[in-house]
Amino acid sequence: MIEFFHVSKSYHGRPALQDVSLTIEKGEFVFLTGSSGAGKTTLLRLIFCADVPDEGQILVNNRNLLHLKRSAVPLLRRSMGFVFQDFRLLPKKTVFENVALALKVGGVPEGVLRVKTTETLAAVGLEHRVNALPLALSAGEQQRVCLARAIVNDPQILLADEPTGNLDAALSGEILDLMKAVNARGTTVLLATHNRDLLHRLRRRVVRLEQGRVVEDGCPEA
Amino acid sequence: MSRSLTRFRYLLGEAVDNVRANRTTAVLALATTTFTMLGMGVFLLLYLNAQDALSSLREEIKVIVYLKDEASPKAIAQLRGDLSTDPAVAAVEFVSREQALATFRAQFPSEERLLNGLGDNPFPASLVVKVGPASRSSEQVGALVQSLKAHAEADEVLYSQDWIENLAVAVRYLRVLGVGIGAVLAASMVTILANTIKLTLYARREEIEILKLIGATAGFIKMPFVLEGALLGGTGALCSLFLLRTLFGLAESRLALKGTFWGVGHGLAFLPERVTVAFLLLGIMLGCLGSLVSLIQFRDARG
Repeated sequence: MIEFFHVSKSYHGRPALQDVSLTIEKGEFVFLTGSSGAGKTTLLRLIFCADVPDEGQILVNNRNLLHLKRSAVPLLRRSMGFVFQDFRLLPKKTVFENVALALKVGGVPEGVLRVKTTETLAAVGLEHRVNALPLALSAGEQQRVCLARAIVNDPQILLADEPTGNLDAALSGEILDLMKAVNARGTTVLLATHNRDLLHRLRRRVVRLEQGRVVEDGCPEA
Repeated sequence: MSRSLTRFRYLLGEAVDNVRANRTTAVLALATTTFTMLGMGVFLLLYLNAQDALSSLREEIKVIVYLKDEASPKAIAQLRGDLSTDPAVAAVEFVSREQALATFRAQFPSEERLLNGLGDNPFPASLVVKVGPASRSSEQVGALVQSLKAHAEADEVLYSQDWIENLAVAVRYLRVLGVGIGAVLAASMVTILANTIKLTLYARREEIEILKLIGATAGFIKMPFVLEGALLGGTGALCSLFLLRTLFGLAESRLALKGTFWGVGHGLAFLPERVTVAFLLLGIMLGCLGSLVSLIQFRDARG
């Protein structure tokens, strides 16, 4: 599903990723961990074509991202969902509109859009807040809206960058449970975090980065 | 409802939201657009009316032969008969002294007292000679005038050719001036709208980033801004048309030009329907152009 072949990326001469080779299979749940500046966000940004590697190749669904035309990038992104630490919700749009937007950009018909958005908001437990504006929600609720927006179009891949960074332990657990449920439906999940509690809560494959290199890759022992 | 219509409705809603969010800037841009397009409209109106007048005058080149008071009815009838058979002449009309006086009284009722000091009827009889369509060149009209002047019954011969040619030159200058000024006004309108849209783009750059992340195409991201430009340009054009119509009405009544315009038998005319529609479309197009300029400069809006 996602394959990295000797990928390197630098910003202003400072290496962010160095010779990273990695394969993530379809349906896997992978934690991407490491200290701040280890290269987690850079790795995610390369997957959704926000950046281009300096060296190496990246394949997503057997498509080489280096050969992807600019016009094909939106289509690729529609096959993915994104969850961010800072939520990145549109403050002037309601919860419903924020989530529905992910379907609207894909030209989903109005009727289908309503049903899918309502179902997804119910799945993350926000069916009672559909008309609220994001700033009226708690941090946990905002992150659930962000997750709903990421999964509303049934993405093949879910990328999450420190999704629990602004949440307490209980809310983090809730978000992790929701992601687990998304993964159970067949979506490949790649979750970047430096929160060790999450790794202990869910025993899944962990890829650890240090100074842009993969220093550990495997499933922790029970 | 079709999918593209739903999408268009959404994008139009976003454009309206853009205008609402930057209300003050939008109002200023709208005011500038209105007055810029009003300037263009005034030139267009002047040019079209002058062009219209010129066409009418060209269609009716007349040579007026003022007859001597002592010319006998027989000699006048002879001259009239000769002219009727001349291939260069389309029609000949005899205007008697009484008819000339009556026409003057009808056209200038307030100048009645002028006639009092002139004794009896001061107007001479005349023959109004309409030149045929195939004989309207300066040379042909000149030859006709010369031949008329040679007649013993003719006192004076007046014709409108010089006046028409001068008007034609003036209309040509007006067109060149209008195109030049129109281009400058259009460029300034595009610049103003481009800056307005640029402010909206900066205000919504975070939103644009989110849209890109969730897979919005460049077209989906850019369209609300293009529509915003079209809205401002179109509304500006509409407001300027309203102002132009009001000013036109005022000018018509103040200058009392309703009856004739530059001696032509019809009054001033407002922009024809098709020109009005084209004027509106021009406003919309210039608005879109302003948006496109700002989108080209704003790299973040690229998909």
